[in-house]
Amino acid sequence: METMLSVESLGKSFKDKQVISNISFEVQKGEIMAILGPNGAGKSTTIRNIMGIMYPDEGSIVFQNSNGKDIPRHIIGYLPEERGLYKNVKVMDILLYLAELKDYPLDKAKERALAYLKKFDLEGKEKVSVEELSKGMGQKVQFIASIIHEPELLILDEPFSGLDPVSQELFKDEIRNLADNGTAILLSSHQMNLVEEMADRLFMIHRGQKVIYGTMEDVKTQYANFKCTIHGKNDLYDLERIPEVQRVEQNDNTSILYLSKDVQPTIWLRNLPEDIVIQELAIDRVSLHEIFIDIATDKNLFQEAGEVNA
Amino acid sequence: MRNTMKVAKWEIKRNMKNKTFLIGMFLTPVLIIGFILIGYLFNDSDSEEAETTKVIVNDQLDVFSELQATADQAGFNWQMHQTELEESKVKSELDGTENTAYLFIDDRAMTEGSVPVYTSEEIDQFFINQVQVLETPLKALQMKQLGLSDAELAIASSGISFEEAANENVAVTEEADTEEALGADPMERIVPGAFAGFIMLSIVFTGMAIFQSASQEKKDKIAEIILSSLTPAELMQGKIVGYFVLGIIQSVVSIGLVLPVLIWRIDIPIMEYLLVPELALLIGIAILGFLLFASIFVGIGATMADISTAGNFQGMVMMLPFLPFIFIGPVASDPSGLMAQIGTYIPFTSPGVLLLRLSMLDEWPWMEIVISLAILIVSVWIFMKLAGKIFKVGILMYGKNATPGEIWKWIRA
Repeated sequence: METMLSVESLGKSFKDKQVISNISFEVQKGEIMAILGPNGAGKSTTIRNIMGIMYPDEGSIVFQNSNGKDIPRHIIGYLPEERGLYKNVKVMDILLYLAELKDYPLDKAKERALAYLKKFDLEGKEKVSVEELSKGMGQKVQFIASIIHEPELLILDEPFSGLDPVSQELFKDEIRNLADNGTAILLSSHQMNLVEEMADRLFMIHRGQKVIYGTMEDVKTQYANFKCTIHGKNDLYDLERIPEVQRVEQNDNTSILYLSKDVQPTIWLRNLPEDIVIQELAIDRVSLHEIFIDIATDKNLFQEAGEVNA
Repeated sequence: MRNTMKVAKWEIKRNMKNKTFLIGMFLTPVLIIGFILIGYLFNDSDSEEAETTKVIVNDQLDVFSELQATADQAGFNWQMHQTELEESKVKSELDGTENTAYLFIDDRAMTEGSVPVYTSEEIDQFFINQVQVLETPLKALQMKQLGLSDAELAIASSGISFEEAANENVAVTEEADTEEALGADPMERIVPGAFAGFIMLSIVFTGMAIFQSASQEKKDKIAEIILSSLTPAELMQGKIVGYFVLGIIQSVVSIGLVLPVLIWRIDIPIMEYLLVPELALLIGIAILGFLLFASIFVGIGATMADISTAGNFQGMVMMLPFLPFIFIGPVASDPSGLMAQIGTYIPFTSPGVLLLRLSMLDEWPWMEIVISLAILIVSVWIFMKLAGKIFKVGILMYGKNATPGEIWKWIRA
């Protein structure tokens, strides 16, 4: 796989506060790489540093096909977190302007713009003024603007925020489609379910630091341990004494037992103490969503593991 | 540079498609023409519509011809007749007439110094003031009757006026010189100066649109998308170039509409005065002025999302282009004076004051022009740099306006 972008020990601070530090990852051709993290973790800061909108204090950002320090702007597509378009211009005009800024031939851009407008249910809207579009429509136009020049590297900051489920599916399919055609895609999100479905690799960031980095498969096998949910009134102390239980969360009559990584569910179930009250019992893997919440709420269960295995 | 041109092209295209801009572009010259025409309309109406006043004189002193001469000289729209009508019958005679007045000039004028005037109900509102002019010939007659000689008469009838005595003879001659020169051809300097001033005004006003455009960029939150394709410097330069061209278009449209009207209405060979080599320098000054204010506006525009949220600091900066107005009074009264020189050397007022002075002065102070041009060029360069720094950070700052402290920090960065 060809590496399109590599970020090496990136660091940036505002005033005295270190916003991100020691961030390193790569984005390869044809893959979807996701940066995950709670609000304020440093996702957008990382992306803005890559785009040259901010300048990093430390570290380096290297683009393939780029000689020297210049950012190869014409092969990058960018959808920023701050959504906006010039208000009083026509949809087609702004799309063509943005394509022109990328040095993309205008006749081709027009063709592609019309095709994408049709794909995103915006057929016939090319002559409409941007201010007449709804928020979701505006976001679609922005997405089109970011891919109209066939970028080799596409950077999407929170592409799904504010979209309805139908549009989310549309975006997801199109992003997948682009990746399959060889585009390197870096996206940030806090919607774990979507990321879980589409990302090839992920980089989880919290308080500007790396927490998890790896392929989706690896992350799942490494971090997504089994958990056992028991409905029934039990004493916390009793539950904690069960072997292979790392941590117990108790809420009224529901207890969630987080099991250690190497647990064999069948054996573990057989060895459950007999005095435990069970009205209902479920055993499944921890989802990415839970890992995320775990990290974001500082339960730190996975942080240690993450550091060891990184 | 190519990216700069793309931005410039976009800004031009965007504005040329914008109805507000188009209306503004044509409205300004149409309003100017309107005012010129309305002015003429009123002038015409004064002479045409004002009705002739019938002045009927019962002249017993034989001064009618002198009275008529005086009235003609004063340019009154009077129709003068003589009559033998008696004073007692005048009331009935005036009934039902308009714009008619009866003057009874007899011995009372000589002895009591009063002339009875009977007017119809409707009469020119200035008539009673106008009629005072007839005092002079009557006074002369009165003095003659008192036995003054012609020489004495001349002295007595010439008024006494208070004149300012000049301290220095030099000043007097100098003044005389300029007056002479101005008298000879005052328009020769004023026409190109006014032309350049007009160009500067209209591009400075278009320059205000740069401010709008820069803050709009923030408000629309599009800056990040644009900056993913080009550098902040290119975006800023593109805006300045684009609005400069828009300013020129605006000026060309205005001049194209207004100039023919001026040539048609005013009897000055405008084109001859306009197309002189000096015009190049004047326009050069105007362009420098534009660049200075454009960079200030684009920088300050990047620090706020909306004019209505501008702080005191930003508001004050916005007023800078209007600073030359302070100097108009002093410069007009003494184009070579101290205030004029000070104004010439302050970069913000320099373009305006220079244009004003050069339009009024016959001898151009070349030394001062060169120095102020140097100051202007250096400050344009400095302000471009500063604006670049402010723009780079400010344009990406969402949600809040920059404080002067923050702006200062960016400048030092």
